[in-house]
Amino acid sequence: MLTKFETKSNRVKGLSFHSKRPWILASLHSGVVQLWDYRMGTLIDRFDEHDGPVRGVHFHKSQPLFVSGGDDYKIKVWNYKLHRCLFTLLGHLDYIRTVQFHHENPWIVSASDDHTIRIWNWQSRTCISVLTGHNHYVMCASFHPKEDLVVSASLDQTVRVWDIGALRKKTVSPADDIMRLSQMNTDFFGGVDAVVKYVLEGHDRGVNWASFHPTLPLIVSGADDRQVKIWRMNDTKAWEVDTLRGHMNNVSCVLFHSRQDIIVSNSEDKSIRVWDATKRTGLQTFRREHDRFWILAAHPEINLLAAGHDTGMIVFKLERERPAFSLSGDSLFYVKDRFLRAFEYSTQKDTQLIPIRRPGSNTLNQGPRTLSYSPTENAVLVCSDIDGGSYELYVVPKDSYGRGDMVQEAKRGVGGSAVFVARNRFAVLEKSSNQVLVKNLKNEIVKKSPLPIATDAVFYAGTGNLLCRAEDKVVIFDLQQRIVLGDLQTSFVRYVVWSQDMESVALLSKHSIIIADKKLVHRCTLHETIRVKSGAWDDHGVFIYTTLTHIKYCLPNGDNGIIKTLDVPVYITKIYGNTIFCLDRDGKNRPIIIDSTEYIFKLSLLRKRYDQVMSMIKNSELCGQAMIAYLQQKGFPQVALYFVKDERTRFNLALESGNIEKALESAKKIDEKDHWYRLGVEALRQGNTGIVEYAYQRTKNFERLSFHYLITGNLDKLSKMMKIAEVKNDVMGQFHDALYLGDVRERIKILENAGHLPLAYITASVHGLHDIAERLAGELGDNVPSLPEGRKASLLIPPSPALCAGDWPLLMVSKGIFEGGLDDTGSGAQEDYEEAADADWGEALDIGEVDSIQNGDISMVLEDEHVHEENEEEGGWDLEDLDLPPDADTPKNTQNARSSVFVAPTPGMPVSQIWVQRSSLAAEHAAAGNFDTAMRLLSRQLGIKNFSPLKSLFIDLHMGSQTYLRAFTSAPVISVAVERGWSESASPNVRGPPALVFNFSQLEEKLKVGYKATTAGKFSEALKHFLAILHTIPLIVVETRGEVNEVKELITIVKEYVLGLQMELKRRELKDNPVRQQELAAYFTHCSLQIPHKRLALQNAMTVCFKAQNLSTAAHFARQLLETNPSNENQARTARQVLQAAERNMRDATQLNYDFRNPFVMCGATYVPIYRGQKDVTCPYCSTHFVPAQQGQICNVCDLAVVGSDASGLLCSPSQIR
Amino acid sequence: MAAAAGGPDPLFGLRTNFYLGAYQAAINNSEIPNLSPDEVVERDCLVYRSYIALGSYQLVINEIDSSAATPLQAVKLLALYLSAPENKEIAISSIREWLEDPAIGNNPILRLIAGIIFTHEQDYNEALKHTNAGGTMELHALNVQIFLKMYRSDYAEKQLRVMQQIDEDHTLTQLASAWLNLAVGGSKIQEAYLIFQDFSEKSQITSLILNGKAVCCMHKGEFDEAETLLLEALNKDAKDPETLANLVVCSLHLGKSSSRYLNQLKLAQPDHILAKRASTAEESFDKAVHAVA
Repeated sequence: MLTKFETKSNRVKGLSFHSKRPWILASLHSGVVQLWDYRMGTLIDRFDEHDGPVRGVHFHKSQPLFVSGGDDYKIKVWNYKLHRCLFTLLGHLDYIRTVQFHHENPWIVSASDDHTIRIWNWQSRTCISVLTGHNHYVMCASFHPKEDLVVSASLDQTVRVWDIGALRKKTVSPADDIMRLSQMNTDFFGGVDAVVKYVLEGHDRGVNWASFHPTLPLIVSGADDRQVKIWRMNDTKAWEVDTLRGHMNNVSCVLFHSRQDIIVSNSEDKSIRVWDATKRTGLQTFRREHDRFWILAAHPEINLLAAGHDTGMIVFKLERERPAFSLSGDSLFYVKDRFLRAFEYSTQKDTQLIPIRRPGSNTLNQGPRTLSYSPTENAVLVCSDIDGGSYELYVVPKDSYGRGDMVQEAKRGVGGSAVFVARNRFAVLEKSSNQVLVKNLKNEIVKKSPLPIATDAVFYAGTGNLLCRAEDKVVIFDLQQRIVLGDLQTSFVRYVVWSQDMESVALLSKHSIIIADKKLVHRCTLHETIRVKSGAWDDHGVFIYTTLTHIKYCLPNGDNGIIKTLDVPVYITKIYGNTIFCLDRDGKNRPIIIDSTEYIFKLSLLRKRYDQVMSMIKNSELCGQAMIAYLQQKGFPQVALYFVKDERTRFNLALESGNIEKALESAKKIDEKDHWYRLGVEALRQGNTGIVEYAYQRTKNFERLSFHYLITGNLDKLSKMMKIAEVKNDVMGQFHDALYLGDVRERIKILENAGHLPLAYITASVHGLHDIAERLAGELGDNVPSLPEGRKASLLIPPSPALCAGDWPLLMVSKGIFEGGLDDTGSGAQEDYEEAADADWGEALDIGEVDSIQNGDISMVLEDEHVHEENEEEGGWDLEDLDLPPDADTPKNTQNARSSVFVAPTPGMPVSQIWVQRSSLAAEHAAAGNFDTAMRLLSRQLGIKNFSPLKSLFIDLHMGSQTYLRAFTSAPVISVAVERGWSESASPNVRGPPALVFNFSQLEEKLKVGYKATTAGKFSEALKHFLAILHTIPLIVVETRGEVNEVKELITIVKEYVLGLQMELKRRELKDNPVRQQELAAYFTHCSLQIPHKRLALQNAMTVCFKAQNLSTAAHFARQLLETNPSNENQARTARQVLQAAERNMRDATQLNYDFRNPFVMCGATYVPIYRGQKDVTCPYCSTHFVPAQQGQICNVCDLAVVGSDASGLLCSPSQIR
Repeated sequence: MAAAAGGPDPLFGLRTNFYLGAYQAAINNSEIPNLSPDEVVERDCLVYRSYIALGSYQLVINEIDSSAATPLQAVKLLALYLSAPENKEIAISSIREWLEDPAIGNNPILRLIAGIIFTHEQDYNEALKHTNAGGTMELHALNVQIFLKMYRSDYAEKQLRVMQQIDEDHTLTQLASAWLNLAVGGSKIQEAYLIFQDFSEKSQITSLILNGKAVCCMHKGEFDEAETLLLEALNKDAKDPETLANLVVCSLHLGKSSSRYLNQLKLAQPDHILAKRASTAEESFDKAVHAVA
């Protein structure tokens, strides 16, 4: 039993789940009805109007209503939104035991101790039917979920099924109901609205509960005879099927589980029992110490049950609903029902892989809990709680995706948990001895290792490492070194989620998440009030997780927040950008699109990626008080400034970030004294006198303003201030100003006006204004004050300020990085950001320079060292061979205790030797390094005698045939022969032919290059390419006979080009022999070339002949050229012009050795035509024709074979030999 | 070695680094506290052998004085042997002398060094005489290598089986099975690749591991992939002879020019097997031309 929620209260007699919201109603023996939110664990409301115990309570399926019935004989219908009882249905004459709404009609069924069942219409608020027949208390009555049936249980020891079909037919309108009520009373004892269909007798004592199966025609009942009975019914009768015995006291309630083949019952024996409904055996018993159970309720939609007992109630479920899953690359492997399935994220394809063993249904909660997958071996470990923890190892056959229903025989074992720790190794926890067994795929123990802490589960922690969980801590344990790599105190960890780079790990506990690095160094802890369900890392290093109710994020610094709310719990498996993939409780993969803007923004701020921050601010509508508060709290008031519309907040933020211009802007809009004052203070701090002045003006703070003018030396304004003071009759202010200004006369005047004549007099006389002094003395008469003797007075004038115009040197306000980009106006001194120092721009330059300098130095030093070594080695190399021979024999004489027994095996045959033995292909011999046999083969097959062009090819083949493996340190490297045509299924130890560095496709590429060069007229370059092809072909190996023909074709093609190009090059050398030139040009046209090349050759020949006035021949070429339908209009036009010119004068100026009417082949050496019927010899390799005189010479075209020699023909494929 | 013993193995990291070719890391992380005297000697051996692998022969020769333990003396001999061709003779005669000495002749490190030196001399019989008895994982691994060089993969497999019985997950066991897998070819190539892949996931990526992967790729015919790996290895160590040699082979198969790498290799290690191959190939070609003509 997995308890989800528990309450403590008075005895709970009635329970009802809300169908949509996470609410449950509990009616208590004390008369109160409680409304709980079982997910949040809070009491939402309480309804206290019943007098005495409330035994029955029920939510309406769709309306905000519930019904309750109690010992006060009242049925009350409540509206929970209005928090009040809407009305009361009266009629029962004794305690009411149960009440229930009908699923579609506006009906309520109630069972009462008055022996009756009543059906009410809650819209008309009337009783529409009274079902009589029981002759004792009716303990329960309920509607059938679909059909027009009611089942009831009574202390008269019977269960009755009532047919209410007639009632439904009659229900049309409320008016009818009233009519029927009178009717009903008339046929009270033989009513036709509701008739007893079956009476089920079998219990020996009073029956407390009976309920229908949600889909099948079954009824289950529980009675005071401590038995649970199952009944079956059909259209005509009903009978007892079986009895479930086990309860030790009265069975109080019993029901079918809606989604599983299970019966749940509870009893006054303080237990809840779970039964298998088909096998009719007890599966599990849950007991309470002191509390008798009274009532059960099942959630209509999800897998939840509730039970009420003496001191409260519990909400629980019987089985875990989290599907076991494991992530690997792009795929998710998970268990659904009894199949292992794979879900591919990129294609969203879901495939069924293999069936797995169904957990025995004799106990609950034995389904797979965790899954571990090894991608290379395609093996899956399925762990479950069977036998106190066990695992099964399946290997998914690669080809049987989706088919097969046979459960393969899995390898099994017992162990707390099992995870793959390497490609072909998995670790199994053996709790009893607190050690892990490392096993291979054959389920054999490879190694045992004791664990450092008392471990109750192990998780994957990177190859070869395990994360061991104890009650209060986790450690990462290296299985090979047997050392603890890191440990961390945690609350009980349930799930472990690694980031993709394995650098960070999230440890999920029931109510908290701890983020740590791979050494388990703590980074941050999050606490949730409700259960944490799952999580995954996104690509940016943000941890996205789900709780029961929300999808949330957690930034690397521990900041977290909500992304989305959830209706039902889901299990996140993977995150791709804005898409979260998760598994729901039905084992379905669901993508959820989220808005990641908020956390990406925060992450960017955190990482100081201000460029991203800026672009996000500019582009997206990201605002709200929360964001502003966040920015302010994180020390980014200047960023927050750009979100805020409210002027006051804006002003505050501007002041906080020292942005005086923005503050001024806002202050102007707000225009309040307080704000001006604060602006003034900040401006003064920064030294922005203009704004200080402005602020003082706005606040009408004249004294400050005066002082401000004084210290800024603004005497004009100061005197204005004095005038203002005078106007305002502010004598003191006026006097101050006069004092500041050093205006003695003014001062005297003020003093005089204020009636301080003695002071005025003194002032005047001290400052030598004797006329005034005298006048005042006159006014004073006798009272002229005496002045101290012997002192010299001087006028004190304030020193003039160092800076009297404009602002003071401004305080450097740390301007954010944003201002430049965001502020249209801000273009001041932007260079010296203080903050930018650790941001990721600007810094790069300095560091980069330093680095490169250091690196440079180091590598130079290194190079020096190396040069030394190399020199030494090189110097010594020559000597090596000389020194060795004398030693070579000695070792054999030394005998040793060890060696006397041991006889070293004789060396085996090198792979290259095997190649040579097997092959008659020259290329393979060359690759093996047997050049002489390779040459013999070539000479025999193709008559090749000139091998010098092949030298580099031979060496390349040989060098490319082996790779080099540094094996044991300081020991000589192993060279490994590379074989051709590897496939995964090739059997080992069977030597394949050598891999060759030349292949046919390379030649085709080269051919294209050659064509291109020809088109471009780069004849010598083209010739080089074609010759290279011709030289490589003898060393080509292809697989099929078809390819052999292609190779042979290639020889002919290339040969023609080589011959043609050779002639053309020759022609260009012969500048002074126009006849020979024409002949060669003409012969060139007879080589078989690609059409564009043919055209070029024809055009060429045509031009040459035309120039030499051999018009008839030129016309012939022109005609031929036109026959090829040249796409180039220039070519065609010239050809036509040549034809026209030739027709006028159809003759040749010189005689050529060229008769195009008589078929001929060219001699490859002398470049003369060999007409049909004339004798010739050919090259055995390239099959170029030669005049007989060339017999025995090296072929001029391929430069390899001897003309006219015997040869067996090209052998370039093993298929030719077979 | 500490295969069966429980408890943490303080030298594990050092050994793994050494076997996987992370020599500098092995040297840098050699300060391990609380070592027993035997472990100190083993540690020093590994460190000095790392220096040898890095080519700092003279440092090893200078630092190990005559009072050092036998294993260290053996290591010094190896340094001497590899330092210059003219020292080979002295080194070989010393090692023979020591092997005769019953007091020290059975020391596994001494036998190992003897095995390495005689393998360099291509005197496999002599090498096996000292190494075949085994005793340490290193000796077994060397045996595997010697058998492979003799083209006796059947014997190599037997040795490997012994290693697997001792400790299947030992770094050397894994490496040795990769060597053997490569040598026997066929479907085993993939297994060898997976072993190197495991190493690259588990530990610091060294040019030894990258070369191992690249060789597997080449044997699978995936030359493009191999080139990427080799270039990565070249980035790590531009003078690593195996990287250069394998790059030559790889470039040849890709139809690219290989001469640059070959020249580099000839500079870096003129007696590398590929460099030798290149020069002997030319000679034998000329010889063959004469023979056939």
